[in-house]
Amino acid sequence: MDLEATKISYSGNIREITLGKDDKAVTIGGETSYPFHIFEGKMPNLPSIAMEVYDSPPDDWPEAALEPFVGVTDDPVSWAKKCINDYGAEMICLQLLSTDPNGLDRGADEAAETVKKVADAIDIPLIVWGTANHDKDTEVLKKVCEVCQGKSLIVGPLEEGDYKKIAASAIGYKHTVIASTPIDINLAKQLNILLDNLGVPEEKIIMDPTVSSIGYGIEYCYSVMERIRIAALTQQDDKLQMPIICNIARESWKTKEVKIPTEEEPTLGDIKKRGILMEAISAITLLLAGGDIMVMRHPEAIKLVREMIAELTA
Amino acid sequence: METAIAAGVHINASCGGAGVCGTCKVLIKKGEVESTRTSRITDKEYESGIRQACQCRIASDLIVDILPESRMEKAVLSRENKEISSQAPMPLADGWKFSPPAKKYFVELPGPMLEDNTDDLTRMLMGLRQQHSLDDLSVDYEVMSNLSQILRDGDWQVTVTTLPDNTSGVKIINVEPGDTRARHYSLAFDIGTTAVRGQLLDLNRGKVLAQIIEYNKQISYGEDVISRIVQSQKAGGLKKLQRAVTDTINGMIAGMVEQAKVGIEDISHMVVAANSVMVQLLLGLDPKYLRLSPYVLTVNNVPLVKASSLGIKLRDYVNLYALPLVASYVGGDIVAGILGTGIYQRKTVTLYIDIGTNGEMVIGNSDWMVTAACSAGPTFEGGGIKHGMIATSGAIEGFDINHQDFEPVINIINGEKPKGICGSGLINIVAALLKSGVITQNGKFNTNLSTKRLRKGDDVYEYVLAWAAETQIEKDIVITEVDIDNLIRSKAAMYAGCQTLVKSVGTSCSDMEQVIIAGTFGCNINIENAITIGLLPDLPRDRFVFIGNGSLLGARLTSFSDDLLRDGQKIAGMMTNIELSENADFMDNYMASLFLPHTNTEIFPSVRIEKGRIN
Repeated sequence: MDLEATKISYSGNIREITLGKDDKAVTIGGETSYPFHIFEGKMPNLPSIAMEVYDSPPDDWPEAALEPFVGVTDDPVSWAKKCINDYGAEMICLQLLSTDPNGLDRGADEAAETVKKVADAIDIPLIVWGTANHDKDTEVLKKVCEVCQGKSLIVGPLEEGDYKKIAASAIGYKHTVIASTPIDINLAKQLNILLDNLGVPEEKIIMDPTVSSIGYGIEYCYSVMERIRIAALTQQDDKLQMPIICNIARESWKTKEVKIPTEEEPTLGDIKKRGILMEAISAITLLLAGGDIMVMRHPEAIKLVREMIAELTA
Repeated sequence: METAIAAGVHINASCGGAGVCGTCKVLIKKGEVESTRTSRITDKEYESGIRQACQCRIASDLIVDILPESRMEKAVLSRENKEISSQAPMPLADGWKFSPPAKKYFVELPGPMLEDNTDDLTRMLMGLRQQHSLDDLSVDYEVMSNLSQILRDGDWQVTVTTLPDNTSGVKIINVEPGDTRARHYSLAFDIGTTAVRGQLLDLNRGKVLAQIIEYNKQISYGEDVISRIVQSQKAGGLKKLQRAVTDTINGMIAGMVEQAKVGIEDISHMVVAANSVMVQLLLGLDPKYLRLSPYVLTVNNVPLVKASSLGIKLRDYVNLYALPLVASYVGGDIVAGILGTGIYQRKTVTLYIDIGTNGEMVIGNSDWMVTAACSAGPTFEGGGIKHGMIATSGAIEGFDINHQDFEPVINIINGEKPKGICGSGLINIVAALLKSGVITQNGKFNTNLSTKRLRKGDDVYEYVLAWAAETQIEKDIVITEVDIDNLIRSKAAMYAGCQTLVKSVGTSCSDMEQVIIAGTFGCNINIENAITIGLLPDLPRDRFVFIGNGSLLGARLTSFSDDLLRDGQKIAGMMTNIELSENADFMDNYMASLFLPHTNTEIFPSVRIEKGRIN
């Protein structure tokens, strides 16, 4: 007698959206089943990985993270090109760390100019990530949207406290926005509704549910993402059917565990491997929860994740 | 339309004067207007001179009538029926006869003689048996203390007051010389966490002679029931709380006696409906275990108690009857509401919602009833709101806003200059702000608007409802973002409570054949606005009925009918309580309700938020 596996019947699907432009555009989303449940539905676009580039040289990265980028960290353009040419990046995520008012506090014009340079130099989709300071992000991201008109950027994070003005600019200059909420399904949905009220087209919204690394509450993020997908796919909740982005690299590379030298804690194993695994396993976990874009750092970690995606979708 | 706004005359205009909604109809009685006719005006209307105000240009002096449906209804302080009849249009308990539990009997007795030296009490009891067929009366001990003198002072003509006792008998509570039947009064009280409402009743004619609303003086010991319980655990706390509420009651009694010109000695009964914590505090019973699992009360069916022994300034013969309690947070107030509205007599599945600091809801009919309570906070009674107040004279209740220049139109209870905002006013204000795009669905102001009404106050944004010069308090009356947040939390608790309760009995909100809304947050509740903010479920509007203070209604009817007094006990026994504080669904529902109207917009299909208004 044949064994009939129980299958979930889905009533909704994730919105399919295209990022970037021309022949290097990347399409994400479109799932008609839970992540990697390809025996139940389709996953027409594989999850995508965006490689991180910083607009100023990072000063608190462990050796292992810096190693692959030696010589390019003081120039975002060369850094981005290295990611593409040497590591096969599918997208670039430019982190505007230098605009942080508690750090270098660089102005909006300077930041926008950097973004423009990178955008001009590459042809794959470019994500621009601010500092989550509402006043500063409003100033900087508005300018970025304006200066990079026609570049089809993905800008974020838009939070409840600053979404209006940034979204207005993004609509005006036809960029995609990242709606960012603090690990809560209701708040995620609410921000999408608010953006919709504002007139942001649904195919121009990606959700950032806020993520953390393994060992730092990833279960909670997983659970919220899982609930978002359940609502989107089985309860036809069209306000939650947006693809999900996870800005995971900086979360895993700032943990204590990736920084303690091997000699101090031999039981934790080799420091380099440890950092890579922290990042890779965090990203795989979030992919299993429903992530569509992973913002990642280390080429080795990225390789592991790509292999995993390939195996799960084979 | 512009002229009307400039003159401070309100005409409804849902679309903001675009000519598409047809809510601004007026009748041109005299004079000429140039107007554009739209499909919103029927031929018949057009012929009779009805036009849309927003489509009219004034061509000569005019006399204009604003059609009733285009008016903002003017509030009246009390919509409660002052005369009680079982034919009232509201859903009311039916089939009861007017027969107050406290009854007065006049008896004429033969005086004692040497041949008939029966004792005074027996003589009186014999008189009652012969003249009024009253048997098996018991007698309060205190009645005897001056009985001999009273009988003689009245020249053997006396009036005897009786009351049902704690069992099924009847007892004599008072004897007065002469015939005092014409002066027979009682008191009905609804003791709320935030406000106390009292009525002085005429037990001969079934009328309300006076009524007063007053803040509960316990407020200075905390705004909700939990903080009151905490306070009661401090040294001397219980006594202080008891004194605070009896002080409140005493002040109100004095006021009502004065208003109605009634002698305090003619009041012989007092009925109280209140939530469980309020009852225990009034009786001086330690409420400690009410908030500890498994949440058990000292007593559900409270025995009769002499009001004076609690510190209430009434004659010693006045017994206080408290409507029976159901659970820790489901009290006699809700029993009174079910009693007063007669839900327990009908087959109609009804959702009864008592909107107040302690939000309570009941679903059921004549066969079954489930109930739940949640802490909604004092918002609906004006607490936690910068310019909040209870629903009395001077409270802003009616509100609308011009969708073009964002100028408000306000209506005030009793038409005075405004003093503050009452609960129903708050609902109307937030609904209008939402519909006009002044606030977004998360309750935040749209700060891009250019109107001087919207400004940054003490660190938070606020909207000016009335400028200082237009008010009684000589300060700008505002609604702040914090006020709106508080309202959102309160309405979320109420809505989530209903949702959870409805689901717990395997039904959905749409199965509710009738929704009865009680509460004293205002004179009336605008159902449309309450649905717009997500306080009430999105059901056909004709299923909703607002009855005002259901608790006081039940207390009053109990004072008027001993049938209903017995029914109250039956209702309390019928109710099954669902403990929301231990219910995970409730918390999920609550979180999802923290949005206007709701995060799940699909359950509010009739609430439409205009898109793209924001910039």
